[in-house]
Formats: sequence, C-alpha cells, structure tokens
Amino acid sequence: MTEGGHHPVPVSPAEQRVAALEALLTERGLVPDGFIEEITRRYESEIGPMNGAKVVARAWADPRYKQRLLADGTAAIGELGFGGPEGDHMVVVENTPRVHNVIVCTLCSCYPWPVLGLPPAWYKDPPYRARMVREPRTLLAEMGCQLPDDAEIRVWDSSAEVRYLVLPERPPGTEAMTEAELAGLVTRDSMIGVSRL
Amino acid sequence: MSTPLSLQDLDLPRRNGELAFDAPWQSTVFALAAAVIEHAFGGDREPFRRQLIAAIAAEPDRPYWESWTAALEVLVQTLPGQPGP
Repeated sequence: MTEGGHHPVPVSPAEQRVAALEALLTERGLVPDGFIEEITRRYESEIGPMNGAKVVARAWADPRYKQRLLADGTAAIGELGFGGPEGDHMVVVENTPRVHNVIVCTLCSCYPWPVLGLPPAWYKDPPYRARMVREPRTLLAEMGCQLPDDAEIRVWDSSAEVRYLVLPERPPGTEAMTEAELAGLVTRDSMIGVSRL
Repeated sequence: MSTPLSLQDLDLPRRNGELAFDAPWQSTVFALAAAVIEHAFGGDREPFRRQLIAAIAAEPDRPYWESWTAALEVLVQTLPGQPGP
C-alpha cells in the first residue's frame, strides 16, 4: 500500500456530508478554532472508563463514600471531579450475589459519558438495544457473562433523563489492595453490567 | 482543571477495547454536535437527542455515526436564520 501526500482514495459520502456540516457551522460561528481537536482529545484520552474505575474503587475502599454514591450518584461522582454532558442525573446500581444490573439505551445511545467515555460500538447496535430488554440472560451468556440461575437481572434503560452506572461486586482476595490497585481491576464492561469481575 | 492523569490511568481505557472513533470524520461529527449543543442550544442536549432517536428509528441498521450525521443535518435546519431545505 502506498500513501502519497494527496488523497488517492475518494472521500466517502459520510465524509462529504460531515465536511459540508463543518463548513456551514464554522461559517455560522458555532465552531471556534480548535474546538473539534479539543473535544476529540478530551474524549480519547481524558474521559473514559478509567474515571468510572476510580469511582468504583473508592466505593469499595470507603463504605461511607459507597453510601453517598448509592444515595446520590451525581454528587458522589462529582466529588471525584467527574461531571458534565450526559452526567447530570447519575444513578449507581449495586451488584450483589443475588442481583445483577445491566444498562442499555433502547432508543438511541444514552450512556454515562463522564465515567465511561463514549459507548462501544455494540452498545449502539440494534441487537444489543433490543435483546438486552427481551432476553437479558441469554444475551449476557452470549457475551460471556454467566449468571447463577437464581440471580435476578435488572435491566436499566437509560432513555429517560437518567444515566446509570453499575457498581460491580468487589472480587474476593482483594482486601490488601490499595485504591489505585483496585481501580486497575475494574473494566468498562463490568460497569455496563455485561461482565463480572 | 482536573488533576493530571498518571500513566496507570492512561492504560485503563485501552484494556477494554475499542477506540471511540473508527475514522476522523466520526470524531469530527461528534464534536460538531457538541459545538451546536453548546453554542446554539445553550448546552441543552435534548433537541439533538430527539433527532438522533428519530434518525436511528428511521433506519435502524444504518451505521451509528451516519445516523448521528443525519440527526445533526436535520437539527441544523432548525437553527434560526437557516434557510429552509
């Protein structure tokens, strides 16, 4: 494959439409210089599941924080400095040995950006959005998340104002770990509820 | 400003997978929607969200960022001072 200084490949229709939008909105003064680069940089490196992992680790390490987190997710997450778009009404739902929580947005792609970043591709796809409501146990098993038969599954649809975050169970054998080490155990998928730690 | 991130922090999001954007036009159109929401709607995301829901419902199998683009195109038509279609 050769990469010249020019663009040998014609741009796709989507690229053309986005370029037209960019030109129009820039002309209208709605896109300040550097805005696109700044937003992209922020979502690619600063805002992501590492933020949610810190929230979960703090909740595991500090029972009083956990209490505040479950009582008022937005405020407790704000204590760690995370907030902003799509994080105005955060509700944290706790997994227990008997209850497994999972989040979905049936209508579009609502997702708790400040703590998880942007949603993965499968979260936005029709099969996940439809099946997680219709047959959560089957879909979770297909995604590698096997649950005990007697575990209750609670599916939280983020379509309203509220954005949910799953608080996974703290894995056994982690009692001696520091909060930073605990944060390293927490995965994005466990905070969506499609995997267990 | 938030506190600087440690190297360990930067490792975390990659452990789980996918990059948010597959192509530059996708991050561009994401940021364009953010610009419109912030600068034309005073931070109210609801008008865009309604268009996104409608765009996805209209063509459920269309790739996500193309629906996002379609939603933004419709929203832009509603901006004051915008000539009609």
